[in-house]
Amino acid sequence: MCGRQESGVRGTALTRRGVLTAVSAGGASYLFSSALGAPARAKGRTRVYVLVVDGCRPGEVNRLLTPNLAALRDGGLDFPQAHSMPVMETIPNHVMMMTGVRPDRSGVPANAVYDGAEGNVRELDRPTDLRFPTVIERLGRAGYTTGTVLSKEYLHGIFGERATHRWEPAPVVPVSGHAPDLFTVQAAITMVERFDPDLLFVNLGDIDRLGHTDLTGTSLQLVRQTALLEADLQVGRFVGMLKRTGRWERSVLVVLADHSMDWSLPHAVVSLQPRLDAVPELAGKVVIADNGGADLLYWTGPAAERREAVARMREVALTHEGVLSVHSPAELRLGPEAGDLVVYCRAGWRFSDPTFVDNPIPGNHGHPVTRPIPLFIAGGSPLVRRGSSTLTARTVDVAPTVGAVFGLPAPRQGYDGRNLL
Amino acid sequence: MHPHDVPVDRRTVLAAGTAGVAGVALVGLATDAEAAARYFRHGVASGDPMPTSVILWTRVTPTQAATPGSGNGPAATVTWQVATDAAFRRIVRQGTVTTTAARDHTVKLDATGLRPATDYHYRFLHRGVASPAGRVRTAPAADADVAGLRLGVASCANLQAGWFAAYRHLAARDDLDAVLHLGDYFYEYGPGQYGHGFTDLDVRTHQPPHETVTLADYRQRHAQYKSDPDLQALHARHPFIVTWDDHEVTNDQWAEGAENHQPGTEGDFAVRRAAAQRAYDEWMPVRMGPTTGLGDGTRLFRRLRFGRLAELSLLDLRSHRSGQVALGPGLPGVSDPARTITGRAQMEWLKSSLQDDRAVWKLVGNPVMIAPVVFPPLPADLARGINDVTGLLPEDGIPYNTDQWDGYTADRRELFRHLRDNGVQNTVFLTGDIHSGWACDLPVDAGTYPLSGSVGTELVCTSVTSNNLKDITGTPPRTTSVAVEAAIQTANRHVKYLNFDDHGFSVLDVTPERVQMDWFVVSSRRDRIAGAWRAASWQTRAGTQRVRPAAGGIV
Repeated sequence: MCGRQESGVRGTALTRRGVLTAVSAGGASYLFSSALGAPARAKGRTRVYVLVVDGCRPGEVNRLLTPNLAALRDGGLDFPQAHSMPVMETIPNHVMMMTGVRPDRSGVPANAVYDGAEGNVRELDRPTDLRFPTVIERLGRAGYTTGTVLSKEYLHGIFGERATHRWEPAPVVPVSGHAPDLFTVQAAITMVERFDPDLLFVNLGDIDRLGHTDLTGTSLQLVRQTALLEADLQVGRFVGMLKRTGRWERSVLVVLADHSMDWSLPHAVVSLQPRLDAVPELAGKVVIADNGGADLLYWTGPAAERREAVARMREVALTHEGVLSVHSPAELRLGPEAGDLVVYCRAGWRFSDPTFVDNPIPGNHGHPVTRPIPLFIAGGSPLVRRGSSTLTARTVDVAPTVGAVFGLPAPRQGYDGRNLL
Repeated sequence: MHPHDVPVDRRTVLAAGTAGVAGVALVGLATDAEAAARYFRHGVASGDPMPTSVILWTRVTPTQAATPGSGNGPAATVTWQVATDAAFRRIVRQGTVTTTAARDHTVKLDATGLRPATDYHYRFLHRGVASPAGRVRTAPAADADVAGLRLGVASCANLQAGWFAAYRHLAARDDLDAVLHLGDYFYEYGPGQYGHGFTDLDVRTHQPPHETVTLADYRQRHAQYKSDPDLQALHARHPFIVTWDDHEVTNDQWAEGAENHQPGTEGDFAVRRAAAQRAYDEWMPVRMGPTTGLGDGTRLFRRLRFGRLAELSLLDLRSHRSGQVALGPGLPGVSDPARTITGRAQMEWLKSSLQDDRAVWKLVGNPVMIAPVVFPPLPADLARGINDVTGLLPEDGIPYNTDQWDGYTADRRELFRHLRDNGVQNTVFLTGDIHSGWACDLPVDAGTYPLSGSVGTELVCTSVTSNNLKDITGTPPRTTSVAVEAAIQTANRHVKYLNFDDHGFSVLDVTPERVQMDWFVVSSRRDRIAGAWRAASWQTRAGTQRVRPAAGGIV
């Protein structure tokens, strides 16, 4: 797997919105879309690669199970106290990584929200859902080239055409909605070799997706370990490419997870909708956006009744076994898209709303137990210090760090994160 | 005592080098050991280092009659000095305090206005005579990116059971930031009641020569321990961070009584405890209540912070606990949620310590073991099921020691659930009490461990001198203990290291990457100049919540 892959351009095509390039590598075909008039080459000397090992837990990075990730961590700057941010879901944390601001400024508080205008619960997977400029497009405006290799369809969706070069994820596993790491990393390697962007943003989805989709219980550990091994192997391939092609000495790799993972037994389910609907004044007037370990509750009744209704919703939620805490979205800096209340479950529990059977999968995140993540900065660039930092690092710190490498000024009204270098 | 400290500006410091400081004549200052021994026979100590302040302590004996606990002797004025050099040429803070027999002529004050992460020398002066000098290092600034913290760790020092060689070895180290003493700093027993080994031989005898009950008794016992040269050397060399366990008052104490307290002959327990705690406040370099003054409360649970690297929460597991459950028919009571080991206020305070992002490592100074040690550990769901039918079993299995957290499983369950629910990482309980060395994971559910995961780790230091298993059974080392250790570890798979045989001390090293404890063993408690060697090293890496053997010692 680690040998040099033969690759070649199979063809390009002009579309209304850009250039499509098909590249064959490793026996598969990879499709990239690029902005019209994209710079032919990188602007700066340093390259930044943000690798998101989706759903990885801090303790899972070790020399036995994930030797390549452990080597990166041990040779770089580690942040042993690192956190995902509320809500500890994939889309909001990838958005925080690339914007450097909290959801009340970006408009992206969770994976799933209730869209009042459309009258339904939906994923935040549209480019227009993200209201704050990302470091991707800000770098683009400054003349740098950027790339996204995002294995999950909804991530590909929300980041849209912001990057100079985008991989169109394929093949996508039907149940999980993600491309396997083998293909994702080959796409990243191909992206670097073909387009050499200043910034590349990569999401590796296997660990998270296999954590979610395994329903067997008994095979959970084995499946998880297999996914970790595979993700680590693929990271090793990517690093190998950087070293083999002489890029390592000018590379900064930011490696992190977007959230951790927690597992629940079949009976450890919190289903709030039936309880809320059993209260006459709430019945039919509360919509829930289920985010696995967090429920977002929306009052859809008359505005004049909102205050009393929300207080009642809080009471009802807190009486359910398995509920850890209830918060206002403002408390967690989530903004109006998060509705009226955020309910967290305890470790070992999950939400299943609106009905008990809507969320059958044991692996979930979004609740506080899934907050700790691995986060380290590696690479051969002289910008990368060695050792461990006691700073509390967060997903929202990635954009300020990336921006600082390229000398990009902070956005208007500043970042919510900070430069980790 | 009314401390009056005076900041010393640069010009004063310069003047001090030639003409004295603030009225204290350095010319002709008596510094010889004989004179110092007259006034400062109990040594000097420092404690609770903070970024800009540290507690300084001594006892002055102004007249021969002013013996500890006597109530005799005149008021005495003592000057204290803090300097950046051993010769006290660069004095940065100083002041005077007056002490009296009302507080047993002890002196305790907060030296403030110091610099973070700085080494200082300190001493006291009385009638022109200087005490032995002590050394102390202040804590790093609260937001400092600290690369390392190293603590000596000790507990359970019974003077009658032997010599304090462990303290001597810790005092000889120059690499410690402080000494963490986890309780049983002294013992209340009289001669012949609790000594060395199977026969309770008294290697040394306690003063007063009977069990401590009154304020005078406790003062004399403190004075005896602080007359020990090894303990004096350790106090002088490093600041202490202490909490108490039971013997600072009496064996197996709880909020309203103790195993070793008989109201019929020893009076009201509350009176006895108040006396013991007052003596403790007088004689220990610790902040009880909000200040170093007497009479402002007895709250001992508190936090100390070492930059962003570590926060140390010290627990008081005696003052607020419910009575112990006896082994037998009442055993299911260990999981009664109405019973507590922390008390509600301390539990809420501890949970608030263990959920924020102030420091990478959440260290807990924990007087008694928190890891479950039960036979057999039942899966929680199964135990609940059995209890629904029979009501016979404690929810976490049958404990072997109900004086530990095993006797208060509702509190432990609440704490562990808090750690797990909130994803709190890197909590390490540092424990004494049990006269043996342990390294444990902290299982969410001991019955299904390791599948159920771990919420933290626990490192337990052995005793300085107090008897352990081989001493109690009168068997040679590594004989009966080996079988017991194996039985415990077989039934409790989260117990990774266990040594029931040795005495000594530990050294704890904290870096952002890991916390490691080295266990040092002393060759003999009866040998005043006993040697010591490293016997084991275990560590927990950040993010893992598990212990593993270390490849080597700390240094």
